[in-house]
Amino acid sequence: MFEFLGIPPQALFGQLLIGLINGSFYALLSLGLAVIFGMLNIINFTHGAQYMMGAFAAYLLAQYLGIGYWPSLVIAPLLVGLIGIIIERTMLKRLYHLDHLYGLLFTFGIALIIQGLFRFQFGSSGLPYPIPDQLQGVIRLPFMFLPIYRAWVIVFSLAVCLTTWFLIERTSLGATLRAATENPTIVRSFGVNVPRLITLTYGAGVGLAGLAGVLAAPIYQVSPLMGADIIVVVFAVVVIGGMGSILGSVITGFMLGLIEGLTKVFYPEASTTVVFVIMAIVLLIRPSGLFGKAATTTAGVESTGIGSSLDGGRVLNVAMAGLVAILAIAPLVLYPQFLMKALCIALFAMSVNLLLGFAGLLSFGHAMFLGSAGYVSAHAAKIWGLPPELAILAGTATAAFMGLIAGAIAIRRQGIYFAMTTLALSQMIFFIAVQVPFTGGEDGIQGVPRGLMFGFLDIKNQLTMYYVVLAVFVFAMLLVHRIIHSPFGEVLKSIRENEPRAISLGYKTDRYKLMAFVLSASIAGLGGATKAIVFQLASLTDVHWSMSGEAVLMTLVGGLGTMLGPVVGAFVIIAMETYLAEWGQWVTVIQGVVFVICVMAFRRGLVGEVAYRTGKPL
Amino acid sequence: MKPALLSVQNLESWYGESHILHGVNLEVGQGEVVTLLGRNGAGKTTTLKSIMGIVRNRRGSITKGGIQTIGMTSDRIAKLGTALCPEERAIFSSLNVRENLMLPPAINDRGMSVEEIFALFPNLKERIGTSQGTKLSGGEQQMLAIARILRTGADLLLLDEPTEGLAPVIIQQIGRTIRMLKERGLTILLVEQNFRFASTVADRFYVMEHGQIIDGFKSADLEANMPKLHDYLGV
Repeated sequence: MFEFLGIPPQALFGQLLIGLINGSFYALLSLGLAVIFGMLNIINFTHGAQYMMGAFAAYLLAQYLGIGYWPSLVIAPLLVGLIGIIIERTMLKRLYHLDHLYGLLFTFGIALIIQGLFRFQFGSSGLPYPIPDQLQGVIRLPFMFLPIYRAWVIVFSLAVCLTTWFLIERTSLGATLRAATENPTIVRSFGVNVPRLITLTYGAGVGLAGLAGVLAAPIYQVSPLMGADIIVVVFAVVVIGGMGSILGSVITGFMLGLIEGLTKVFYPEASTTVVFVIMAIVLLIRPSGLFGKAATTTAGVESTGIGSSLDGGRVLNVAMAGLVAILAIAPLVLYPQFLMKALCIALFAMSVNLLLGFAGLLSFGHAMFLGSAGYVSAHAAKIWGLPPELAILAGTATAAFMGLIAGAIAIRRQGIYFAMTTLALSQMIFFIAVQVPFTGGEDGIQGVPRGLMFGFLDIKNQLTMYYVVLAVFVFAMLLVHRIIHSPFGEVLKSIRENEPRAISLGYKTDRYKLMAFVLSASIAGLGGATKAIVFQLASLTDVHWSMSGEAVLMTLVGGLGTMLGPVVGAFVIIAMETYLAEWGQWVTVIQGVVFVICVMAFRRGLVGEVAYRTGKPL
Repeated sequence: MKPALLSVQNLESWYGESHILHGVNLEVGQGEVVTLLGRNGAGKTTTLKSIMGIVRNRRGSITKGGIQTIGMTSDRIAKLGTALCPEERAIFSSLNVRENLMLPPAINDRGMSVEEIFALFPNLKERIGTSQGTKLSGGEQQMLAIARILRTGADLLLLDEPTEGLAPVIIQQIGRTIRMLKERGLTILLVEQNFRFASTVADRFYVMEHGQIIDGFKSADLEANMPKLHDYLGV
């Protein structure tokens, strides 16, 4: 057999095939996302979980009812679509009048609930699903063996994608859908029941995810986490392709699958990150995506209205002083270990809130700063033998630098695209952290020495350590307070309220957003670096995107755009995790429920509610 | 007056917190063409949108063909035979001209056929292959906006400033269209700033101010009412 660039053809075509298979799933999933986004203006974070549900539906139908693959190919998507319709009718539809970000947060919460429930029921190991008899075996091609089932998946996905495209672009139903996307009010006044159309669209988009799940079941194992991993890649696909075009998302999906496969052949180390690298490049060259229309990214509609404006009031100062006083005596009552964790994470939540609450930018990838700073700080203290203060500084500086780069890429898109971009970037950092040797992979960096702070503070003593953390926390809190009450902070708020107007007033809003991003990344990094020293550990948990989700949750629970909200939120969530730890998977479910409740009914958050009732900024 | 096809009583409407209509009373008889006059902000467009059900926050009574529609959503009102041609025309850019024309579903078989529509608007026939509805000229878009609601079989048309910003020759064409629709027995409630144009098509006028109907007269009495009208409209 011939060889190509030193690669045996069997390996090359094998990887290309895997690439096409992955591409099929990317295409099907991003197609569903695009259809839903077009009609509902919501990024459906639950999409991954619904893909997983499709696979499980097929598995359970076979297991308990003896229903085989072919009927499941119809029944499972219908079931998933039906559940989606129930979610849309009962909850999601109440969010349409709100900012897009709430839809993202709500669907994220639902995803947590669904995934938690499935993990509780089925564990996290994969379950096998057989290839149907008719599609067993392989086709012998001159250059490779082609498993029939895989060929079927590619052909069938392609057919489904093209049918969907045809339906939307070439039929009268599609014309009605497109018109309703543009102007639902007028279309409704023509006698079209637009709300029902929206519900059915969501059901259909989600059904596509379920269908992809059934197709995937015989290839990958059926597991509760199968959707969580793929959804982030699909978000990157969507950012690359641009949401405006149906055909665009299909082509981008297949193309990226192929590129991933090729990367596996030529440079396997980069295969998990290549999609994210491409995303970064595309964002720098063509911010609206390969197939996106510039018009779909109008900034004005995406200004959030999240959070309340606030002036530095005396009440806030008193409340902050009170908080510090309580924290100063807290170790008498509570474990310093718990308090220190909560304080470090509170820094993290504050950094997310600085962006979301005051600049209207939802970062779903801040874990990359928390985790990376932790790694650098741990490495500096353990391997280089730096004193803790310099180790923390090194970690924070790393986060600031990463913030500069990630920010420069991410601020090229607004609103939910910004959220998806940060999420994808952080996933790239996560995969890098898994692979590079210095992070210690799954083990992390353990046994980080605490040493002497500034040469004289013995932070091996738990209480000394605690007060050092408290000092760091107070410093950061005052910094954030200073930032949001400075003229710079006022400009940020104006960007949040109405970016085009801020631009028309002569502000280079991109610079302000980048500056805010760097500051926020630094504060997140400060939290992560300190945490690594405190717990003498830097691990993959802190760099995983679910950590970013938690920070957003804390901000939401405490109150977006409030000074003290993220702190309160961090304590609530960390306490919940600490004291409910024995409940295992239920913690995820409870977090999801809290997310959903906050978005549906408690959008001001704890502190925000108090601030609203008393009329005082907090 | 012929029996009222549309009867509006004590209609009040709100946009969010702002109270726009303060008790509108008007009637439009079967087969009549009635024009709403009034300054900007008097509530003319809001009246049409309230009748259509687009403004949801409304109180009072609106009956169409004897059926109370005050609590209905706009899609149900549309199915009872009311159709709106909005001021902004609302031609869809992601739809081609044919799709724009065919978009509103027919509610009965009394609507005009595509051939009849093309006979009425020959330009549209020429431009039917245009890829984007919004690539048409302003006049063509206005004709398309009227044409698409003629297909559905609606018998009550609400036309919101159809002549706004158009060339005189196109205004004349729209005038001919409205008179032709009247001959076909359609009922039309028209909002117009241009009362010279309106007097060529309307049977009656209502004058609105501050969210209420403050006057009304027949088209034949327009000259006699000119001084008053100048006062109302400030022209």
